[in-house]
Amino acid sequence: MATAAGPRNPESFPDLFSRLLSDRLKLLLVYAILIAATVQTIYPLFWMVFGSLKTDADLFNNVWGPPRTMIWQNYVDAWRIADLGARIGNSVIITILSLSVLLIVSSIAAYALARLQFPGRQAIFLIILATMMIPSEVTVIPLFIVVRTLGILNSRFGLVFVYAGTSMAFSIFLLRGFFMSIPPELEDAALVDGANRLQVFWYVVLPLARPGLATVAIFQGMFFWNEFFLAFIFIRQAELQTIPLGLVNFFYRYSADWTLYFAALSMVTIPVIVLYVAMQRWFIEGLTAGAVKS
Amino acid sequence: MARAKRRRYPRVYRHLSAYLMLTPAIILLIIFVIIPILYGFYLSFHRWDGFNSPVFIGTRNYIRLIERDDVFLKAVTNTIIFAISVVLVKNVLGLFLALLVNQKIKGVIFFRTALFLPVTLSFVVIGLLWSWIYNPTFGLLNAGLELVGLDSLIRAWLSDQATALGAIITVDIWKWTGFHMVLFLAGLQSIPKDLYEVAIIDGASAWTRLTRITLPLLAPVTFISVLLSLNGAFVRNFELVFVMTDGGPNHTTEVVLTHLVTQAFRFGKLGYASAMGFALFVVVAVIAFSYIRIGRSGTYNF
Repeated sequence: MATAAGPRNPESFPDLFSRLLSDRLKLLLVYAILIAATVQTIYPLFWMVFGSLKTDADLFNNVWGPPRTMIWQNYVDAWRIADLGARIGNSVIITILSLSVLLIVSSIAAYALARLQFPGRQAIFLIILATMMIPSEVTVIPLFIVVRTLGILNSRFGLVFVYAGTSMAFSIFLLRGFFMSIPPELEDAALVDGANRLQVFWYVVLPLARPGLATVAIFQGMFFWNEFFLAFIFIRQAELQTIPLGLVNFFYRYSADWTLYFAALSMVTIPVIVLYVAMQRWFIEGLTAGAVKS
Repeated sequence: MARAKRRRYPRVYRHLSAYLMLTPAIILLIIFVIIPILYGFYLSFHRWDGFNSPVFIGTRNYIRLIERDDVFLKAVTNTIIFAISVVLVKNVLGLFLALLVNQKIKGVIFFRTALFLPVTLSFVVIGLLWSWIYNPTFGLLNAGLELVGLDSLIRAWLSDQATALGAIITVDIWKWTGFHMVLFLAGLQSIPKDLYEVAIIDGASAWTRLTRITLPLLAPVTFISVLLSLNGAFVRNFELVFVMTDGGPNHTTEVVLTHLVTQAFRFGKLGYASAMGFALFVVVAVIAFSYIRIGRSGTYNF
């Protein structure tokens, strides 16, 4: 950049020197800010892992530093007392089932909205657009009554349908956009060859829409995995609790077993971080594309 | 050709298949989104414990909310403070960091990955972690202040009425800033580089380039970024408050959702809580739709 103006407008040496210096300083400042921001983002997570391996005394007296001796037993005890195995199992089941229901139902509907002409199409799409902006939190009381009336309170299935239902509008909206970006000629060719709409959808459109499906899966999968509010309202039985519920429960039931809390939190957080770092491009693109596409 | 083939099917059949494809989605939408909205509106005019039949009481729930529920008014104030500060700070900080990362420097991927990390963690994990960071006996924050000699600032952050709400707002900003940074970064990278080169040759200062090129061309991304933060700003506060303070001390961190849940599930006032929910629904809907209207008439189109 310094040379861009150079040939036309030669600089005296002191000018060039001071500018190079200030570029240097600016770069240093940029790095200082970025590193500070990164440290305050990452250090709390290291601190959590440090805490999970400390003794109580170490935790209280050696706040910032790494553990003096590694107490791996914290992990064994936390796993057992917080019943993490069952909670992780519940979270896995609920996330996978919710995603399956959501992806199947919303992709079929999104395809119909993207490609087929029928009376009421515009109205249905407008309703979906409108409900997309309404967070389910504001209707939690009537939603609770609906779920209770259907007899699916305190059931994993109930939560699965609540999750799928409340994410439906957004997912349809996103996938519709992806389907519309696929050239229709391919489908027409398949239709001419005698395939019906469902076959075209399954064999031609879905494989092409994989990036769109991946976006929804990451975006909503993260949401279901982390969700607390609806799970807290609809699941009260301990053995059905998901990870976030289990953590809160563990935290409020056992008082002052601090190092065990740190261990429980580390156990549920580290796998997520590892997965994220391994697939960070997917995560970042999925989570932001999901947002930007709308 | 394709058209000729399709005509073989009667119109009704073609429409039928479209409706069949939409049916499961529409059923789920009706049961879990549309009925709750309408039913919530109905319940908000009733007194109901959830078991006996609801008693119609007109607008008394709403009148009581405004005239006799001090905690609700406090919760509304806190919700608004929370919403405004997180929307502002997340976007400004996110844009600032994006501008820094967007330069020709090494380690961009690393900074991006690291700063985005909290987005992937749940509110519960982050809320618990930060309530320990704020902890007065073994917390990172007080120990850090002691280390740098700012002992006077040491306090029990979450049980001090002056700092509790701010402490929670900070955590929400901590979680989401990286998300907005990535959004803005994508926007910055789509701005053609030659615009800047021309501006530099014309002698435009860094500030002029920022205000005359970067910010105007970033308007669509800014619109989305603000919309996304706005959409959750009034309701995605329950988890943090519930985990970190449960509305305390003395309701200084109470938000509408925590108050609503307490009224409904601790005191069994489902009609009253529905009125609160419906009021929140109206506020969120009005803000979202008017924001989109303004945005559409301006720079950005769907």
